[in-house]
Amino acid sequence: MKTRDIFAFKGASLFALIGASAISILGFIWPFLINEKQGHPQWIFLLAAPFALLLLFTSVSTNKLDSKSIALLAVLSALIAALRPMGTGAVGIEPMWFVLILAARVFGASFGFLLGTISMFLSAILTGGLGPWVAYQSFAAGWIGLGVALIPRGLRGRYEIAALALYGIFAAEFFGIAMDLQFWPWVLGGDTQLSYVAGAAISTNATNFISYHFLSSMAWDIPRAIFTATLVVLTGKPVLHTLRRAHTRAAFMTPIEFIERAKA
Amino acid sequence: MITFSNVSLIYPQSTQTILEDLSFQIAEGEMVLVMGETGSGKSSLLRLINGLVPHHTGGILAGDISVDGISTRTVKPGSLAHLVGIVGQNPVNGFVTDIVEEELAFSMEALNFPQDVMRKRVEEVLDLLSLSGLRNRSIATLSGGEQQRVAIGAALVMHPKVLVLDEPTSALDPIAAEEVLSVLHRLVHDLSVTVIIAEHRLERVIQFVDRILYIEGNGETSIGPADEILKRSELVPPIVKLARALNLKEIGTSVREVRRQTEDIRNRDFAHVAAKKNVGSVAIEVNRVSHSYSSKKALSNVSTTINQGEIVAIMGRNGAGKSTLLHTIVGLHSPDSGVISVNGVDPTTLKGAARRRSIGYVPQEPSDLLYAASVEEECAQADRDNELAPGTTASLLNRLVPHISQHAHPNDLSEGQRLALVLSIVLSGNPEILVLDEPTRGLDYQAKSVFALALKEFATQFNRPVLLATHDVELVAELTDRVLFLAEGEIVADGSTLDVLLSSPAFAPQVAKIMAPKPWLTVADVVEALGQER
Repeated sequence: MKTRDIFAFKGASLFALIGASAISILGFIWPFLINEKQGHPQWIFLLAAPFALLLLFTSVSTNKLDSKSIALLAVLSALIAALRPMGTGAVGIEPMWFVLILAARVFGASFGFLLGTISMFLSAILTGGLGPWVAYQSFAAGWIGLGVALIPRGLRGRYEIAALALYGIFAAEFFGIAMDLQFWPWVLGGDTQLSYVAGAAISTNATNFISYHFLSSMAWDIPRAIFTATLVVLTGKPVLHTLRRAHTRAAFMTPIEFIERAKA
Repeated sequence: MITFSNVSLIYPQSTQTILEDLSFQIAEGEMVLVMGETGSGKSSLLRLINGLVPHHTGGILAGDISVDGISTRTVKPGSLAHLVGIVGQNPVNGFVTDIVEEELAFSMEALNFPQDVMRKRVEEVLDLLSLSGLRNRSIATLSGGEQQRVAIGAALVMHPKVLVLDEPTSALDPIAAEEVLSVLHRLVHDLSVTVIIAEHRLERVIQFVDRILYIEGNGETSIGPADEILKRSELVPPIVKLARALNLKEIGTSVREVRRQTEDIRNRDFAHVAAKKNVGSVAIEVNRVSHSYSSKKALSNVSTTINQGEIVAIMGRNGAGKSTLLHTIVGLHSPDSGVISVNGVDPTTLKGAARRRSIGYVPQEPSDLLYAASVEEECAQADRDNELAPGTTASLLNRLVPHISQHAHPNDLSEGQRLALVLSIVLSGNPEILVLDEPTRGLDYQAKSVFALALKEFATQFNRPVLLATHDVELVAELTDRVLFLAEGEIVADGSTLDVLLSSPAFAPQVAKIMAPKPWLTVADVVEALGQER
């Protein structure tokens, strides 16, 4: 017998993760899939991600999270949610991504995904900005947590920090693109050169989006990337050490043995 | 109620057994004290009772433990929650909500109790622990004793048959401790709750407990009635030390019992030994200092001087302004009005190395000073900061408390080891004054005597003042020359330790209570006086 492992997606919850992610990916990239002018597909997609998120949370909570995973998740997501508005969000300065990335590195990809989604959701409640876009932000943050699994497990020391900082740059840009994608069809009127044009050829829309992204949001993504990478480099060593210590102390997967009598 | 049969425990990644072949039974309505040195496995034993060990921590458990007929092997800790209530060492860490009433209802909410049952039980507990006046208060504004009572209340709403407490009085002043213990006493006698408590400050609890479970350093365990265990244990409160020094026939656990046996000694006449007067020059000068936090007055018009080489205790109830006075003296903030000078300098103007050299400060939570990832790094950092030869701090630490693992993380050390580490770091700066805020929380008798020795050495060897805020009257009696007694931000008594402690029955040490009206505070005082007579 062993103590319970830290939370991981497997079986039904893994299936739910894949399903929910697929639905919300559609919610992000629908402008490139549809060139129908009739109907209003965007409204269906706008609601796709929130429903997917709901589905996912339900599946995870019935999968019985262990009390230690819950405690870790609660503390870290509270921390991240509190850190996020601290940079006031101006020009992408959000001092939260480094915690998410480092925590996901230590506690694993599944935990990272949950941490990303929950803390995004929580910070939205804290700042009062609740709306359908929160679900998209949550998924994007969750995927960033999930993606930390791309970094080889055995990496330690300076190389680990370098890899994490690199990942931080990638994650900041990924979040920027994802948010633009979600935002873009709605934000501009239909009459600028950068707008989403319902019913236009997909290639036209793709070009429009890329120009939009570079023009409007590189001012946000570059500072976000630099800021995140810097924080990872500066705080990486002590934060990883602290989190790893917590991981050891939480005694996940530690053997429990009951024997009749101690050996004489 | 609780049965341990042949219990041994080994943690994973450890070769040492924590408990070995432990067998005992605790009946319903019994109050049992678990005592032993720091790190002897008291907390592990308490956590075995509700199955947190090994279900939560891992480990190998031999033998069997059953609570009310349920074996902890077969059920998870959650399923014992209605049976065993557990109150941790620091109640603040366990609180979930902000308001007293909500905190009491929380565990029932989690288990989805019907509304009317919750209501009834919250009322019951409020009455039982006399908390009804505090029901709508925010927990953060309560005093230590009140918080501890709320924590006990939160455990009691589940109607547990067993209540387990880990050092319930260690952070409390003597009055608040009495309050908590008398509540426990009532639970045992009126409701027949089985209470198991671990505590270092034996002088506070032994008169209440039925039996003692003593975990010795070598892994031996014995259980028996209080006086039987105390007769041969190494850890004993002053009351037992006194009985041993006087060769009394029986070892009493309450002041009353020992007083009866020592009547003849008190009736004899002794030459009065005049207290040594400290005549050092002035080191710290506090002149008409007032300070308040928003609307709450913490210090009002406090004036005093502290001389070189003097060891001074600051005493008083929780919230009397002790910490504020210390903060002002070390220069953490400047007072609203008044002047403080430490060897002629305003402490708020000191910075960096000059500050380390002039003021050594050990805060209430010593780990606030620890940042590095291991004991070794902390010591090396202190050596570098104070331009000492490498290894100086480490050897100082080794003298205070030997055998601390150099690679251990500071947060993994026991309370006493951590204090020793911080103290050696602070002392390595060779400060001109030493200020400590509640330094002896969680220390066993041995650690406390080592600690007292270190402070005494510092004061006499370098002729420098030591200032400490504490609730520990026994320590004050042993160590200090002078006591400042604070109440509501004012100094209400300032005099030699003897005068101040004898004049207040609540703050008198055990020996003084037994020997009153004789002016003796410690066993050593009594022995010395008797020796002079012969």
